[in-house]
Amino acid sequence: MRDVYTLGTGQTIFGKHDNKTVNELGAAAAMAAVRDAEILPKELQTAYCGNIYGPANVVQSTLIRLGIGKIPMYTVENACASGSSAVHLLHRDIAYGVCDIGIALGVESLSAYNKKFGKGLIGIEGDMQAKLSLTMPSFFAMLCNRLMEERGATLEDICYPSIKNHKNGVTNPFSQYKKEVTFQQIMDSPMIADPITLLQCCPQSDGAAAVILCSKEYYKKFNQKTQRPAVKVAASVISVGSAEDSSCDPLAQETNIRSAIKACEIAGVEAGKDIDVVEMHDAFSGEELSAYEMLGLCPKGEGVAFARAGAAAMGGRCPVNPSGGLLSMGHPLGASGVRVVADIARQLWGEAGTNQVEGAKVGMAQMLGGVLSGVDSPVVAGIQILTK
Amino acid sequence: MRNEVIFHSEALEKEGNTLVQMGFRCDACGKTSYPVYELCPFCSSGEGSKTPLSNTGTLFSYSVTRVPVGPFKPPIIAGYIDLPEGTRVFGQIRADVKAVKTGMSLKVETGTIWTEKDGTEVIGYYYTPCGKEKGGAE
Ligand SMILES: [Zn+2]
Repeated sequence: MRDVYTLGTGQTIFGKHDNKTVNELGAAAAMAAVRDAEILPKELQTAYCGNIYGPANVVQSTLIRLGIGKIPMYTVENACASGSSAVHLLHRDIAYGVCDIGIALGVESLSAYNKKFGKGLIGIEGDMQAKLSLTMPSFFAMLCNRLMEERGATLEDICYPSIKNHKNGVTNPFSQYKKEVTFQQIMDSPMIADPITLLQCCPQSDGAAAVILCSKEYYKKFNQKTQRPAVKVAASVISVGSAEDSSCDPLAQETNIRSAIKACEIAGVEAGKDIDVVEMHDAFSGEELSAYEMLGLCPKGEGVAFARAGAAAMGGRCPVNPSGGLLSMGHPLGASGVRVVADIARQLWGEAGTNQVEGAKVGMAQMLGGVLSGVDSPVVAGIQILTK
Repeated sequence: MRNEVIFHSEALEKEGNTLVQMGFRCDACGKTSYPVYELCPFCSSGEGSKTPLSNTGTLFSYSVTRVPVGPFKPPIIAGYIDLPEGTRVFGQIRADVKAVKTGMSLKVETGTIWTEKDGTEVIGYYYTPCGKEKGGAE
């Protein structure tokens, strides 16, 4: 396998862009990434795009706006890990010598989705459990209840990631929300599924993100930004759950745990010691709290203590979601898996501005997709580890 | 005549006059899956037999949704029920919110779970309390 380097990143502001088409959003992110990489669009040899709700041919009709054609292009759907999967496939192509440079794009417009299907909680079409009212909030409400029963989490603990991430989002120019929230405001917001209130949920968002990856040879020859430290994608893992997940504890999701262990092994890092910064799927505040131990940032059962010690906050042992995460950044579904990789790259380049984690050398980008239950809608975990 | 449909094609089967949740008990790995798929989702074996799921189980975890979901009006109580054969089933729980507790015993019932605009009754399953607290057997 060859080493794979990050050459450029780009994204739109996440939020409500109901005046923009999916292709316009995607093209804006791709433009930003091409400019950041300081290459001509025609250098790109392949393209992958994470997207869930279309339209069809999204990658081709997006990139043709930049004059990019005649190369293999694929739109990839893997629920919230769609963007992670786009990065993964591009990484694989470069690592195995299929090509030297390519773009991983992710784009979604929930505004367009809502116009088509109406607002409300999204259930998985045709899923037996969804027909019986299982939604993301109802699943994660059970996870929160488990956190309180099994891990001694209080409501304050459950709300902590939301408070922390909204604070981080204030200084992120790409963030959907730029306001802090207090515990009281979170608990006073409308109840969705006990104990999850509206401000413990990520918003619906439109937006796009892009990452350009390349081989060492290409990086040496074409990288213009010599002031940037070389940042490698040292590991990329996509794992899918199995029927076993249907009876697993939401606090010990096997797919999530296995992916993190595998990615750390490949990258040769120890999660609890070496990882300096994490960008992860915090669709719900309690989800982030439950993930600290699953991702190996702390020993099993110690996630609440990890949070209470401030380890996940800016200035802590391993800041989690310094960008503001899905909770404050926003969550354009297919884009988020690419966005987390772009954010980790910027952290390791030292270009994260006010949200910079000082001295970050190793970072993890994680996404989780699927309803995490039953065999009808198994889970997909995507993890990339970047190093410099 | 009332028009009735079952909410999900593989979820319920008629056994005599009653509807039962039909699972698949795998001879190769011993696990019971629900609903019935092409092969055992745990081990891919096709050897085994259709078998009705247990009527009672224990509540692993639950949630109370406070906003409408599809045809359901809040509060929607739903959770994962662990059956003696090891199968975990998701379903709604018809009970007083205050009476629902993790670990409680529940029994399955079938009936109308929602009515379509044209009057079609959609038949499904749901759970109700049956433990000691309700005077039933544990
Ligand atoms: Zn089997």
